[in-house]
Amino acid sequence: MPTEFKINARPVTVDVPDDTPLLWVIRDDLGYTGTKFGCGIGLCGACTVHVNGRATRSCITPVKDVANSVVTTIEGLAEKGHPLLETWVEAQTPQCGYCQPGQIMQAAAMLRDFPAPTDEQINQVMSGNLCRCMAYVRIREAIRMAARRMQAGSARPQEADHA
Amino acid sequence: MLKYLTGKNSAGADELASPGRRGFIVGMAGAALTLAFARSPLSLANPDKAVAEGAFDPTVWYWIEPDGRVVVNIAKAEMGQHIGTALARIVADELEADWDQVELRYVDSDPKWGYMVTGGSWSVWQSFDQLSRAGAAGRSVLIEAGAKELGVKPEQCRARAGRVIAGNRSISYADLVRGGGISRSFTDEELKQMPIKPPSERRIIGGQTRALDIPGKVDGSTLYGLDARVDGMVYGRPIMPPTRYGSAVSSIDDSAAREIPGYRQTITLEDPSGTVPGWAMVIADSFHAANQAVERVAVKWSPGKTTGVHEQAVLDHGRKLIDAADQGVLVRDAGEVDQAFSDAAEILESEYITHGVLHFQLEPVNALALEKDGRWEIHTGNQWQSLIIPVLAKALQVPEDRIVMRTYLLGGGFGRRLNGDYAVPAALAAKAVGRPVKMVLTREDDALFDSIRSPSVQKIRMAFDGDGKITAMEHHATAGWPTQVMAPGFMADGINGKYDPFSIQGALHWYTMDGHRVRAISNDLANDTFRPGWLRSVGSGWVNWALESAMDEAAHKAGEDPIEFRLRRLKAQGINAGSAPNSVGGASRQANVLRRVRELSGWGGELPADTALGVATSYGQERNMPTWTACVARVRVDRDSGRPTVEKLFVVTDAGTIVHPDGARAQVEGAALWGLSMALHEGTTLRNGNVVDTNLNTYTPLRMRDVPDIDMEFVDSTETAVGLGEPATTVVGPAIANAIFAAVGVRMREIPIRPEAIRAELQRNQKA
Amino acid sequence: MSKGWYLAIALLVILAVVLALAVWQPSIPAADLAKRHSFSPELVERGKVLAGIGNCETCHTITADKPYAGGVEFPSPFGSLYSTNISPHPEDGIGRWPREAFVRAMREGVSREGAHLYPAFPYTHYKNITDEDLDALYAYFMTREPVAHTPPSNNLSFPFNLRFLQWGWKLLFFDPDPWQPDPGRSEQWNRGAYLAKGLGHCSACHTPRNFMQAEKKNRAYAGALVDNWYATALDESQPVPVHWDTDSLYQYLRSGTSNYHGVAVGSMGEVVHRGLRQAPDSDIRALASYMESLSADRRNTGNPRQLAAETITAAQQRAHSEHGAGEALYVSACASCHYNDPQHPLAARAELSLNSAVTADDPTNLLRVVIEGVGTGAGTPILVMPGFSTLSDENLVELADFLRRRSNLPPWKNLQQRIGELRELHRQSQHSATGKAGE
Ligand code: FES
Ligand code: FES
Repeated sequence: MPTEFKINARPVTVDVPDDTPLLWVIRDDLGYTGTKFGCGIGLCGACTVHVNGRATRSCITPVKDVANSVVTTIEGLAEKGHPLLETWVEAQTPQCGYCQPGQIMQAAAMLRDFPAPTDEQINQVMSGNLCRCMAYVRIREAIRMAARRMQAGSARPQEADHA
Repeated sequence: MLKYLTGKNSAGADELASPGRRGFIVGMAGAALTLAFARSPLSLANPDKAVAEGAFDPTVWYWIEPDGRVVVNIAKAEMGQHIGTALARIVADELEADWDQVELRYVDSDPKWGYMVTGGSWSVWQSFDQLSRAGAAGRSVLIEAGAKELGVKPEQCRARAGRVIAGNRSISYADLVRGGGISRSFTDEELKQMPIKPPSERRIIGGQTRALDIPGKVDGSTLYGLDARVDGMVYGRPIMPPTRYGSAVSSIDDSAAREIPGYRQTITLEDPSGTVPGWAMVIADSFHAANQAVERVAVKWSPGKTTGVHEQAVLDHGRKLIDAADQGVLVRDAGEVDQAFSDAAEILESEYITHGVLHFQLEPVNALALEKDGRWEIHTGNQWQSLIIPVLAKALQVPEDRIVMRTYLLGGGFGRRLNGDYAVPAALAAKAVGRPVKMVLTREDDALFDSIRSPSVQKIRMAFDGDGKITAMEHHATAGWPTQVMAPGFMADGINGKYDPFSIQGALHWYTMDGHRVRAISNDLANDTFRPGWLRSVGSGWVNWALESAMDEAAHKAGEDPIEFRLRRLKAQGINAGSAPNSVGGASRQANVLRRVRELSGWGGELPADTALGVATSYGQERNMPTWTACVARVRVDRDSGRPTVEKLFVVTDAGTIVHPDGARAQVEGAALWGLSMALHEGTTLRNGNVVDTNLNTYTPLRMRDVPDIDMEFVDSTETAVGLGEPATTVVGPAIANAIFAAVGVRMREIPIRPEAIRAELQRNQKA
Repeated sequence: MSKGWYLAIALLVILAVVLALAVWQPSIPAADLAKRHSFSPELVERGKVLAGIGNCETCHTITADKPYAGGVEFPSPFGSLYSTNISPHPEDGIGRWPREAFVRAMREGVSREGAHLYPAFPYTHYKNITDEDLDALYAYFMTREPVAHTPPSNNLSFPFNLRFLQWGWKLLFFDPDPWQPDPGRSEQWNRGAYLAKGLGHCSACHTPRNFMQAEKKNRAYAGALVDNWYATALDESQPVPVHWDTDSLYQYLRSGTSNYHGVAVGSMGEVVHRGLRQAPDSDIRALASYMESLSADRRNTGNPRQLAAETITAAQQRAHSEHGAGEALYVSACASCHYNDPQHPLAARAELSLNSAVTADDPTNLLRVVIEGVGTGAGTPILVMPGFSTLSDENLVELADFLRRRSNLPPWKNLQQRIGELRELHRQSQHSATGKAGE
């Protein structure tokens, strides 16, 4: 059955087998290759996108499960702009960069729930995202910087996207 | 076939050929996306076209566009080390370029780049001189041309930030290039003669900057091998054979897969190069269809002879090899070692074990292969093009010059992609089905196909005289040898044969000892069972673990402070005095970083119960390009569970000249945490010829919640720039083990160190 | 033959006749199709809301294009039942049923033709519905689109396939007297009780059944496994750290989420998002008020917010003190979404130490959402959870054990077996999905 949803503010209808993981629909059918494939079993976070504003591992989410949802990928977040993208560059966070779109999407979702996260909260929420280059020190730092900036009001987090 | 109804256009092959191609993203997602970063630092330019249109290209390494942009060709793999930025800064410094005008271009394989390999932390060290002289050559020509334009003598001019300046008048490089008439290029000989600036005149090297590859990694636009795409391609996913070598497909039954929408066929790969024996590959229109088919296609094999090999057998075989005196190759045999041992008042002997380590680069290996006009294109991220192209030529039965490797950024390298074996099955499949095949391995496939860091066994013996002085050290080390298996031309000459230099580096330490014997032994059972790989810091990663643990044991045995004990032996005498240009200062520089880390870490201070500091040091990768490194780890051990918690790492590095300081810090952060991860969180074992752990449900690399504070320092230096990507990896493991000993008195001689092992030792100690 | 014998035979004959008369139910003549009823739009609208509260659609609809056409399978220990077509189709559905037949079916469990219905159809609860509400429901169903569709016939094993035996069942377990309001309780409570005990038939799912599939009266609302979902306990035995109160019940029944208990998925997701969606706030509040009274005896007196904070903090500390396989899986797979600030647990980050899927005595709900995930169609429309079916059985056991430890609860038994069963269930549903995609 064709599945309809919105991706990065554009409505799309995809006609692929219902159980196709969202990740491959995003990458291969919709062409947003910023979302990466790392483990395929939901344990690395490289494939993290937002579904209705919540960070979701797209590699194990069948496309039919996001029917009528609002999906945002790193390209969508970059299009809208987000303080994390700036602090990620300022902290010179990425090494190979492969995990980073997923890290940023996870962090963006976290900052909605924890606008002023403690280190413990950052550690607990972000530990689901593996960085094999071990750029963890800077991931943490870039999140702290963005949170401070958003708290100071110089930048506002976006509202959650809803269907 | 069911495919998407609406969405985006797919881009054609040409548009996607290089990783810097923003055109792809723009076409897909609309213009807004590119506004996030106004200027792409990764160049889209085409060098031939540029030159035809009047660009200035004094050497192959860069050219200057008429608008003043300096495009630097990067023939190294970009895998997280920001190597493009470091290399471009070397060029820009001598060229006196305006850094804001510098762009990078990651190049495809071509003989003109020379031998293409990215590894060993060599890149900056190898390229520094060459690129400096290339930059200087350009500057000399531009100054000459500028002088003419300004009507002065060249001696009256200087170059700064992309301009030639004489007094208060100046002219930009752009204007000079636009003016035309500067088409000078240099021969290799001329370049070698080109004078370069003294370090005091450097303006870009060593300065703070942002890496040019980072913006695209933040907004998702960077293309990795996984993102390669061409028209008409199909997906391939292998069905992994039961053994790495010697398997042969005996039958394939795909009847249960035929109903899967998008499934095409399952092929057996015929591989004249012998790289992927016994591989079957599912071909499908989508990766999802391929994955479903792999579950349902029944393949039977006649397996290779290693189906029954377990980890223990490999380790036991290693022990046997060590015990047989005639095995292996003597790499060093200095002084009267045998005499020293027979005269010894006391002998310390320990065995050290490391288990297999997966590369687990986050991007599972993949390659897109196609034939176009009689030429083979391999689209993939790779670290050693010059090693795999001859193998591809053999596999495809075409001359090497018919093969080009298109360059992509790497979702992690760590040495996995030095071994380009994954390009072979993609090429074979494309040849078999007669269309472009994009082969993607799942994580599980990737682990099974990984060329892991071999399990290793080492024995270190030290002889002490009556005064507690070390009179001799023997170091026997055995593991699978990647170089022997994959690049035998790089084997080194030992005293009595050839050995894999990358599987013993770290043992040729700079401690002064009268007798010193080092023996490297290839574990043939390991080599037969799996393909041993080069993994971040290669030999030093496990060899130094044994060496620095043994040094600690010796210090404790002698009742001395572990840092003092080492310092006393870092005398910078004789063979340890160092030499120009690479190891100026020798052991005295290792002593220096050790002293610095002692200060930084507050060594000797009061700490809470069951918490202690441990130290380790190394010279990095190789004696001929030492990166002096020292680490102190602060570790707390929970006596009930045995769990060690690394609270803080202190790392001091002397890598000579630092080209890109922030990048250097990032490398040391990553390398240090790799050391921690391997010491406490990783490690797999072999069962029935394969690794047991194939995904993150059981293989558990370090995650953020276990990341300690890191305090690091670099020695300010203008000595030769050496490597940074690996050395910190080698010191963290032994520093942790030494700290555990200092904290609770148990000596861990096996990596990974498991809480259960610590607990068991604690209980044993308690009983004793 | 002795006199005694004659007497005995006579008695038996009389008994048989009486029995037959009792079992036998007359067929009610089919209504004349030519004389279509006319119903006021208001009545139909009221019927729609009521049908929602009764959750009629879920049980009587197999695909969206065949509303109320029946065919949904109800597996039981004795074989499978299939729901009937209740669209007003003259042959396949109830198009020819006069009102009195409809009322008899709802209150007595007898079809128009006189057959005894199985209690999977909850006439045992519907008997409590008022005349006015039945009128509205009748009006609603009679004005639906008639759908031609014959559901499969039941395949029950002998003797359960003998419908007349249902008479005996009714004799044993069915009390035909309707429920009476309790004048000692508030009007709101009475309204809630009326809805829950009647149309809502809440206890049909939440009460364990005896071997004859009748609700165990003495264990009302003690929690039960229905259709491979676990309907959690709502009585005083409920094992949740933060007791359900009217606020959380209202929030949950209205939105499908409760910060302190979790998110409605599976059958309960349907109840909330398809069934109760139309019901007015006043009815939802009434239901909440009644539900809350079910556990009035063992109320946790603490402030819910504080109880939640204490529970979460303790769970986090327990998790910190271990570093094992289950904990590692939790950190890698779960915490990024489910880790909460103890002071502000968010429904969208369902806190697992409070979550009824973890605290329930039965692991089904947890295992199912972990294996299958939750899509927009299955639960709260904006909440999507990926499915972790790729984890091994061993991983799932480690994870479930860890989550129970984290909540300071004893381990679930027979996890391995339950995982196998639920995996198989998932595999089958996937298989049918793949088959469909290939059509
Ligand atoms: S690829 Fe989806 S979590 Fe790893
Ligand atoms: S930057 Fe390479 S995996 Fe994170």
